[in-house]
Amino acid sequence: MRDPVTLVVVAREAASLHTQLLATLHTALPRIGVLDPGIFACDLAGTEELLGAPSRVARRVLTRCARLGTRASAGIAPTPFVARVVAERTPPGEVRAVEDGRTYLAPLSLDVLPIDVKVRDELRLLGLRTVGEFAELPRGAVFDRFGSAVARAHALARGEYGDVIRACVPPRRIRARRAWDDAIGSHEQLVFALRIVVDEIARALARDGLAALRLVLRLDREDGGPLRIDRTVLPPTRESAALLRSLRWALEERADLGLVIGCTLEVPEVEPARGRQVGLFAPDGARREEAIATARFLREKLGAGVVLQTRVRDPEARLPERASEWMEVIA
Amino acid sequence: MGAPLAEAIARIEGRFGVHAVARGPATERHRDDLVIATGTSLDRVISGGLAAGEPLAFVGPPSVGKLTLALRAVTAAQSQGGMVAWIDPTASFDPLAAERNGVDLERLIVVRARGAHVAVATAAALRSEGFRLVTVDAGEPSLGGISIDDLAPALATVRGSPAALLVVCGARGSRVILPTYVFERVAWERQFERTVAWSFAVGRAHTSDRALFSLRADGTFVDLGTRADLAAVAV
Repeated sequence: MRDPVTLVVVAREAASLHTQLLATLHTALPRIGVLDPGIFACDLAGTEELLGAPSRVARRVLTRCARLGTRASAGIAPTPFVARVVAERTPPGEVRAVEDGRTYLAPLSLDVLPIDVKVRDELRLLGLRTVGEFAELPRGAVFDRFGSAVARAHALARGEYGDVIRACVPPRRIRARRAWDDAIGSHEQLVFALRIVVDEIARALARDGLAALRLVLRLDREDGGPLRIDRTVLPPTRESAALLRSLRWALEERADLGLVIGCTLEVPEVEPARGRQVGLFAPDGARREEAIATARFLREKLGAGVVLQTRVRDPEARLPERASEWMEVIA
Repeated sequence: MGAPLAEAIARIEGRFGVHAVARGPATERHRDDLVIATGTSLDRVISGGLAAGEPLAFVGPPSVGKLTLALRAVTAAQSQGGMVAWIDPTASFDPLAAERNGVDLERLIVVRARGAHVAVATAAALRSEGFRLVTVDAGEPSLGGISIDDLAPALATVRGSPAALLVVCGARGSRVILPTYVFERVAWERQFERTVAWSFAVGRAHTSDRALFSLRADGTFVDLGTRADLAAVAV
């Protein structure tokens, strides 16, 4: 079994640089969990051969944090809780490793434990001042008197309880770019050239089982500044033809595009792609949804009594208006 | 790829839609995916069927059989797995006739848009990924219908759309020209001084090839084949 090793990085400028720090850590560490704003944890168990010793990894991370202009410290311990306490008590720019969590926590005040203030006061009234004294109490007695939350804190005090780090996967950037030697001046030629870029995006979306919800196209122009086109794709899709169609309409809305020498197409918003295999079992499940979305749009645009569905009620009825009935598609 | 070839393909796609050019074996698949074959002799006159991303107009006098064939196209689109939008400015859509022609009413959305909203509804349906066919029953302009010319704003969206556009109307447009198939009544069948059936021909105005059909007053539809077929039988 692997020895548990957790690295916790605590940044002092938590709020302002949180997103940048997270992005930086994603480039240096395998899977990052966010404990609190500015406090990040990573399970390094079994990564020594790949990444190097945990202390070296921690130093590398701190160097990257310093480049961002943040003052961070790192703690290495068997459990995330102990590693966090260690990191919080280590001066900025330094790394401290602890092998025995219980011994490290023992002399510290009860304030480090995640327990209610009233419980802490009660423990003090009972003559307990340090984490070590609290950890000496029998587990069953703590549970019976204070309940499960304090029993969990008791386990943390003994350095036993290994919280699972809920790691987040770094967001993948779906982007494709092209540069063209000859400037493109016409809409049709540009649409044709964009097809290759869109195909690349469609392949990336298909690989991850995603559908594009928004497209951002940046056109680099020879005779002017870059042109940014933001396009919402409804319904979300990963089909190359549908994405290209959306871009084609966006381009057609602009009379003069200038001379285009390159482009960057990015998908900033995605959602899980709906399975087309639904159609095998429920005919046109996906298409029907899209048709209903269009009906909803038309209902909003044209008002009530316009977008309808019908069914035959009584083919033998004498009055034609009784033979069928009409219903709003969107009530 | 050379710039002249890219330009040529761009022009073809610009004129005939993004699926017009495909590499290798994809070409056949695209054609199969995109063409709505009605399963009648009409397919032999209109190059296999109605194609996605292309407009088509059925033009002819009232009560000749335009809507019957349009409903056949709707049935064919639905049988290929698709929803159909029926734009109906005159609110004259007949669910009974549709059902008699095999239309699945649950997969048909009728939009009773009027005036300028017809073009809006048509464009929205063509831009959607949900429809296989968009049919506009233009009706008579004097009775609240529209002319083909009124559809001009929507025609830009046909190109590249996954749906085919079928316009059913009484007369050709003066400003907008669509690929048009003319319906002509050929003969009446009468019994006891009453009309019980009639036959009609469908084809391009400038060609001689026609698909011939017979329609009885009770709604029975008979496909008589093309004019060439009949000529062969006569010989």
